[in-house]
Amino acid sequence: MKDVEVSAKPYWEIRVTKVAIAGSPRSTSTSRSDRSTHAAKTPYAMSSDNVSTSTEFSPELRGRPKAAAKVLRDSNKEEPQLLPKESVQDMAKDVTYICPYIGALRGTLTVTNYRLFFRCMDREPAFVLDLPLGVVSRVEKIGGASSRGEVSYGLVCKDIRNLRFAHKQMEDSLRKSIFEILMKFAFPVSNGLPIFAFEYGQVYPENGWKVYDAQAEYKRQGIPNESWRITKVNDHYEVCDTYPSNLVVPVNIPDEELKRVAAFRAKGRIPVLSWIHPESQATVTRCSQPMVGVNGKRSKDDEKYLQAIMDANAQSHKLFIFDARPSVNAAANKMKGGGYESEDAYQNAELVFLDIHNIHVMRESLRKLKEVVYPNIEESHWLSNLESTHWLEHIKLILAGALRIADKVESGKTSVVVHCSDGWDRTAQLTSLAMLMLDGHYRTIRGFQVLLEKEWLSFGHRFQLRIGHGDKNHTDADRSPVFLQFIDCVWQITRQFPAAFEFNEYFLVTILDHMYSCLFGTFMCNSEQQRVKEELPKKTVSLWAYINSQLEEFTNPLYVNYSNHVLFPVVSMRHLELWVGYYIRWNPRMRPQEPVHQRYKELLAKRAELQKRVEELQRDVTNRSASSTERAGSPTRSITPVQTFV
Amino acid sequence: MARERERDPGVETVSSVCDSSWALFFILKNKYLLEPCASGEIVVNEVSFVRKCIGADSSHGDLWGKLICTNFKVSFITHDALPKQRFQVANRLLGEHDVPLACVEQVVTVNDAKGKQKVLCSNQKLKFNPTELILYCKDFRIIRFRFDEAGPQSAKKVCLAIAHYSQPADPQLLFGFEYVGKQYYGSLVNGVDPGGGLQMPLFDRPSEWDREIKRTGASEWRVCSINEGYVVSPSLPEYVVVPVSLADQDLKQYLCFFTAHRIPLWCWNHPNGSALVRMASISDPLQQRKLDQRICSAITKSHPQRSDVLKSDLDKNLPNIQDIQAAFVKVRHICVIEPFEESEEKWLSSMESSRWLEYVRAFLKHSAEVVYLLEGKHVSVILQEEEDRDLSCVVSSLVQLMLDPHFRSLTGFQSLVQKEWVMAGHRFLHRCNHLKKNDKEESPLFQLFLDCVWQIINQYPAAFEFTETYLTVLSDSMWIPVFSTFLFNCPQQRTENSMDFAKSKCIPMGEEKALRFPPVWDWSQQFTPKDQALFNNPMYVGKGATCVQNGTVKSFRRTKKNYSSTLRGMPSSLRNILMDGHDSLTLTRRNSLVPRLKPDFSQIREVVESPTERFFRDWVSRPADLQGMLIPQLLPSHLALWRLYFLRWVPEASIPKGGPVTAYHKLSQLADEVEKLQSQLRQYKGATPASTPTSNPSAPPSDHSRMYFKAGSTHEPSSIPEYLSSSFPFSPVGNMCRRSILGTPLSKFLNGAKTWLSTETLANEAL
Repeated sequence: MKDVEVSAKPYWEIRVTKVAIAGSPRSTSTSRSDRSTHAAKTPYAMSSDNVSTSTEFSPELRGRPKAAAKVLRDSNKEEPQLLPKESVQDMAKDVTYICPYIGALRGTLTVTNYRLFFRCMDREPAFVLDLPLGVVSRVEKIGGASSRGEVSYGLVCKDIRNLRFAHKQMEDSLRKSIFEILMKFAFPVSNGLPIFAFEYGQVYPENGWKVYDAQAEYKRQGIPNESWRITKVNDHYEVCDTYPSNLVVPVNIPDEELKRVAAFRAKGRIPVLSWIHPESQATVTRCSQPMVGVNGKRSKDDEKYLQAIMDANAQSHKLFIFDARPSVNAAANKMKGGGYESEDAYQNAELVFLDIHNIHVMRESLRKLKEVVYPNIEESHWLSNLESTHWLEHIKLILAGALRIADKVESGKTSVVVHCSDGWDRTAQLTSLAMLMLDGHYRTIRGFQVLLEKEWLSFGHRFQLRIGHGDKNHTDADRSPVFLQFIDCVWQITRQFPAAFEFNEYFLVTILDHMYSCLFGTFMCNSEQQRVKEELPKKTVSLWAYINSQLEEFTNPLYVNYSNHVLFPVVSMRHLELWVGYYIRWNPRMRPQEPVHQRYKELLAKRAELQKRVEELQRDVTNRSASSTERAGSPTRSITPVQTFV
Repeated sequence: MARERERDPGVETVSSVCDSSWALFFILKNKYLLEPCASGEIVVNEVSFVRKCIGADSSHGDLWGKLICTNFKVSFITHDALPKQRFQVANRLLGEHDVPLACVEQVVTVNDAKGKQKVLCSNQKLKFNPTELILYCKDFRIIRFRFDEAGPQSAKKVCLAIAHYSQPADPQLLFGFEYVGKQYYGSLVNGVDPGGGLQMPLFDRPSEWDREIKRTGASEWRVCSINEGYVVSPSLPEYVVVPVSLADQDLKQYLCFFTAHRIPLWCWNHPNGSALVRMASISDPLQQRKLDQRICSAITKSHPQRSDVLKSDLDKNLPNIQDIQAAFVKVRHICVIEPFEESEEKWLSSMESSRWLEYVRAFLKHSAEVVYLLEGKHVSVILQEEEDRDLSCVVSSLVQLMLDPHFRSLTGFQSLVQKEWVMAGHRFLHRCNHLKKNDKEESPLFQLFLDCVWQIINQYPAAFEFTETYLTVLSDSMWIPVFSTFLFNCPQQRTENSMDFAKSKCIPMGEEKALRFPPVWDWSQQFTPKDQALFNNPMYVGKGATCVQNGTVKSFRRTKKNYSSTLRGMPSSLRNILMDGHDSLTLTRRNSLVPRLKPDFSQIREVVESPTERFFRDWVSRPADLQGMLIPQLLPSHLALWRLYFLRWVPEASIPKGGPVTAYHKLSQLADEVEKLQSQLRQYKGATPASTPTSNPSAPPSDHSRMYFKAGSTHEPSSIPEYLSSSFPFSPVGNMCRRSILGTPLSKFLNGAKTWLSTETLANEAL
């Protein structure tokens, strides 16, 4: 027997180090991406540090030698399965990927015009890293040649990852390093190359570009009606080049006046209807800041216009103007000719500042968040570190603003006007979140697609600039995670109302991943006008085509469609939490799961199986009683079909 | 349900119960037909025209009624209905506004005219007439009563009575004794039957230990009865399990060297033969080495592979009971006492500084490491703690929950608490501080344990038969002082107190050793069968769960999961290639707008993995088998605040028609449908082919569904009931809040620019 010693130290020391214990690299997205990778149709595995082949060794497959054999063959391939029009640009052996969780891995690196693919064959199962070049924000050569004659490259990614590779210095200095090739294809815009979305030609059963039809959506809302009309004044984007062609305005304001209002609003972004309450007729309208300037300029047309918005709602004699900015920022804008509505000029309006910070503050906050969550979490000060990033506090302010808007419209039956400076960042966040709370339609998968198409894409959230698709200029001050914040807010609401949304977490993660991937045309360009000009619907595939071709993957089985139910989330730090399934998904210590959904699906399958058996038995009994003399009391009639929820 | 328990309205004089010297108050029988009165309960004092505050800002929605102090509870009787549609699970022992005296943490009286405020203790005087009474409760409620219209003297007397009776001088003054004592007078009470009808072991009999030994295959262990009659150690149970190689004689020889004579106790055996043992420290340092060797060698002999024994010193590795109490007080303060909005801004750092989640994590982590030793290293483990009555209870139960799916069933869990807490002598009386005598002894070890269990449930929601509602109700039951489970420091104390009480009350106990206190596990004491359905988890994947059904329905195949298979440890040769990135890479951080690359990479250091970490990693990479070992994820980002428990009484934090219960609702309905189909199927099966079915299969299924929410009728669309909220099945309405929550959700959020706003930000905004 072993002598047991009682020392001051425990027998097994808890190794609490900042360095991660190497875990099997897996993540939520991984499992899903794997699934999709092999769904054949799938364009892109949301590559995590690990991905793909390993999954195929799931217990179910292990039992089937044939499948396993096939899988093994596949996993021995060093190249990725290429998408249509994807081509290998360069390949290098003996590249080291320095995984922050597992350590250094030596393998083969392949660069295509769409992705980076790294495979390490030394491990069983093989280690695979597969990421679209679109997520790369920056590639940097670190240091010179080391003692081993290796150069290392760091890749900063837009999806909260940093990757680091090392490889031997090229002896033939004329030959380009694979990382130079990578830089070329990671930043096609800067190198005069097309973004891959324009080449990818996968055909899906549905044309995703048809998901949103502005007229149909307004019709669903009951517009045009006696107070609101659809104007064609912006048909050729002449009044406002960042607005869509279809605009909904008060009936009694003629197009000529609209043009004069446009002159008083930043970038010509006049107040237009986003949503109308089906009962009270209270509306959510959006615009940009008024061009008040230091001298407090006024516009009779603008004042009349806002009065018309108020008058369109008979229920209330007040209009609320929600300025998303902190009041100091709004005031500072006067120096640049902007500003906010004075309550003197707008008699029946009440102005409220929502204290949401600008794109620069948000970018900085996400940068800090990334430091806190990637690659490892500091165990002892997790919560205060998280607090110091202010990320959740920003999320809270955005949600609180949207809640106030929804509350005014629903409980106060009052129309609201929402703007920030230009009305394409914070305004989009606020109107779309308020609409999500107010209208259950937007909580369906297709409804949410419509919401994004409408409030974000058609109203000119500048995705190209905010994300910087294919652009190497990573320090561009126009970049900002505004849309990510919005999706985070949506996720927070889904956490509070787990049965109120038709889509699941994976849907939200997929939208974000493909916003960066540059595989689909959906998030290309900055405005509707640009999209029309670039002929995106003709030349690219919409993300919705891909998503709607496999809805099952994105469906929340717990969804209950309760009509007319307004969601009032509790906007408190007590309920907000960090979206671990997105920000910490690269950490291999995280077990991917959606067990509640999984279990619900199992129960559904079980119910179906039982129903079948009961029906069979029922039939037997009926047949027997039919063949016997008596037919009375046949149970067939009395057994009611069991209700189906979904 | 309340009506049922009126059978003994209790006309009697206070003197029979109350040892208090102060004035006696007589009760008129016919006045109390309204409130439920538990057996043995008597009214001490009462005051009418009392206002129970509902909203904090205004008196709008307040309730008028009578405030009564009995020897069991503070009761508020009203004919008014609460202002909002509400739901609260009904307790058979308590009315909807009642608070058991044992649940009262602090009694505060206020006179706002005089600007006075006083915390009342037992036998104290009150120099002013209170206009307001605030009760701070151990279950986190804060209840406020106003006496504006009430008789000042009666109000004062009620306040004093509450203060006095909530701090009993002696354990026998705890209501449980009266409650249980009553049944010995004739055939008055039907229900109280300890363990009767319960399908679970209480571990007070040798046969129950024997069965546990057999269940776990611990063939080299035996039940030892040297402590019968508590002759060798008062804090140990009468029957303990020890290695077969240790004779009673050996044990008797060793026991004097252990703190409080607590010899090592067997807890559980792993299927691989490794044992989990708990033990007090050895008080004599001279004997320590020798004794350690003997014990370990005995345990080794009981292992089929003669594996080693490792000892884990809990005192050195885990926070002590005072730390835990301090953390609990802080977290409670942050959650329920601090004004809601003020605490918002620093919420995360305040939570961190409370250290509660850190401690929860520490216990889970330590337990997971013990799991590794038992499962991964195949060695036996001794949990050692000074007295073996606090930290070991938490760790040993958590280890067993992680390793043995039996304990994740409802009865399994209850038997686990019975075995590792009640029988092992956890000082519930002291840790609950029922007598409010010694605050230093108070410590929420059991609540900490429940929180740990919740964390595992939160991560593996289909692995447990019971719900978080069950855990919450179990915790609340600690403050209803009638259950044997939570009233005593050890089984011996129960016997001793029973004897004394029986003697003083001339109760004929016959052959019984102790009064028949019901265990908390007799849930019918508190809840109707319908309400008990709230304990059942519709997702549970267990042996007895919906998967297996009289052999006809095949066990349900789980849908394919895409988990990676195990990634093996990295060869050391690879580790050597690792780049040490943090040497040359420090970049000054002047311009915050320029993202920095290099520092990010500096975090990569050599990855050194301990065997424990590798074991966890391997496990995480495989699909979780809910009927096998479960290890919680231990990243701090994966531990959450148990919101139902900590925030259920906070009106501002309650999500109307939201929260996890909305998913529970939907799952329950589906699980109920599955159950109904199964019962239909059984009825068909029962019918012989020749005859018509004996029972009509279409008849409505008998109402013993496991689910609280039943499948709706065919035509009725499924919708979320109005009363569901994130507090369900509790209701924060009626609990004190700082701001009114009536009306729109507008009151729920903050205003004001934040301090981090820099001038740089402003400049950027103007761009």
